[in-house]
Amino acid sequence: MKVLDPTNEMKATGVVLSPRLASFEGMTVGIITNAKEGTKGYFTHLERLLREQGATDVVWREKSNYSAPMDAHIVQELTNWHAVFTGVGD
Amino acid sequence: MQLSIKPPLTSKAYDVEDFAAAQEFFHSRGWTDGLPVVPPTEAAVEACLEWAGMPPDQLLGVEPVRTQPITAEKLAVNAVMAGCLPMHFPVVATAWQAMMKDEFLLHGVTSSTGGCAVMIIINGPVRLEIGASGTFNALGNSDRATSAIGRAIRLALINLMDLRPGEVDRATLGHPGKFSYCLAEDEEDMTWEPLHIQRGMPPGTSGVTVFAGMGPRQIMNEWTTDPKEILETFAAEMRANQLHYSIYGGNYVIVIPKQLRDHIQGAGWTKKDIAEFIFERARVQRGEWANVGKGSVVRDRATKVHPALQSPDDLLVVAAGGPAGGFGAVIPPWMGSKTRAVTAAIGVCVDCEPPKR
Repeated sequence: MKVLDPTNEMKATGVVLSPRLASFEGMTVGIITNAKEGTKGYFTHLERLLREQGATDVVWREKSNYSAPMDAHIVQELTNWHAVFTGVGD
Repeated sequence: MQLSIKPPLTSKAYDVEDFAAAQEFFHSRGWTDGLPVVPPTEAAVEACLEWAGMPPDQLLGVEPVRTQPITAEKLAVNAVMAGCLPMHFPVVATAWQAMMKDEFLLHGVTSSTGGCAVMIIINGPVRLEIGASGTFNALGNSDRATSAIGRAIRLALINLMDLRPGEVDRATLGHPGKFSYCLAEDEEDMTWEPLHIQRGMPPGTSGVTVFAGMGPRQIMNEWTTDPKEILETFAAEMRANQLHYSIYGGNYVIVIPKQLRDHIQGAGWTKKDIAEFIFERARVQRGEWANVGKGSVVRDRATKVHPALQSPDDLLVVAAGGPAGGFGAVIPPWMGSKTRAVTAAIGVCVDCEPPKR
């Protein structure tokens, strides 16, 4: 008997990561949160580490809907940053 | 509909020895919901596509968050696995297209820790053609069509969107509707407007409504004939959900069985009347959270009023259930208005421009 593969064989194409930074010295770094309570402590600690490592500016932005892609204005703004951290928390 | 030229299927094919071997092959790859599946042969998949008049490579949509393209062939493979007959496939395909609408927020509702399931509500003549029943055991395994159609959606989510538990599906608990969650409205035994017509589909069409639903919360009131008292029980269940689960307003489904319908319809109430009554009654103050152990999030907003519905139109009233028993159900939304129920007509292009005059 021949059976067919039920999975999506037309996978979405992946994304290419930007070149890694050598250090955070003098950099503007963005933090994009899903605005849930559990993200606050984690990203606050991350901001402290980034500043210790020389980041000049750490910009926080919250998604307006934690289950949807980030808002267009954030996508636009992040092109001005040197690096971005994002993640989900609950 | 018979296509004049049969385009080839492009899914990878595997040789398996027999039915039992097929089960182990599919289970071992994480391609099932844990139950046996119907082996998806080329002939069975082609029969689904032919019934729906869809070529295999017809794009049913691109999932907006993870940009996953979904073709008719891949959806049909999963429908066959779920036990669908070819005549069920147009319902599955329409439901899937409705789920791909931005406002449904498919990625959020299916991956969230909240653990809802995609509920399908079928309306119109197609129910009778495929044997979808809205009477006895309406929210359970009432008939072959609704069982298989609901399961097809879940298997497709697992296989096409990688929604396996612990992978993209992060549900803490989930609920049994994640095996199959499909309901047909009992249009033959109601005086009300069918749900899909109420939600803007053309008269004479069949329609599918998709809704990101938590588990059904059953109510019982067999001790009154007053519509207001009956509906107050539904509203109280919605208030309880607001306090115990999520306080935020959005779409809710209520399922009203015949015994309760007879009283409500007999008193001349329409679905619109029901929705307006529930809209006024299903609301809580934020301070009530303190009574259920959530006092820490009341903060300085104790008197803020949270309606369960943002407007009466948010309520999806469905007539269904066996002929005896004053048992109804409230089906809450996954998370307020972050997701919206979507209704689509079967066999009608939902994205087409209106004809130019």
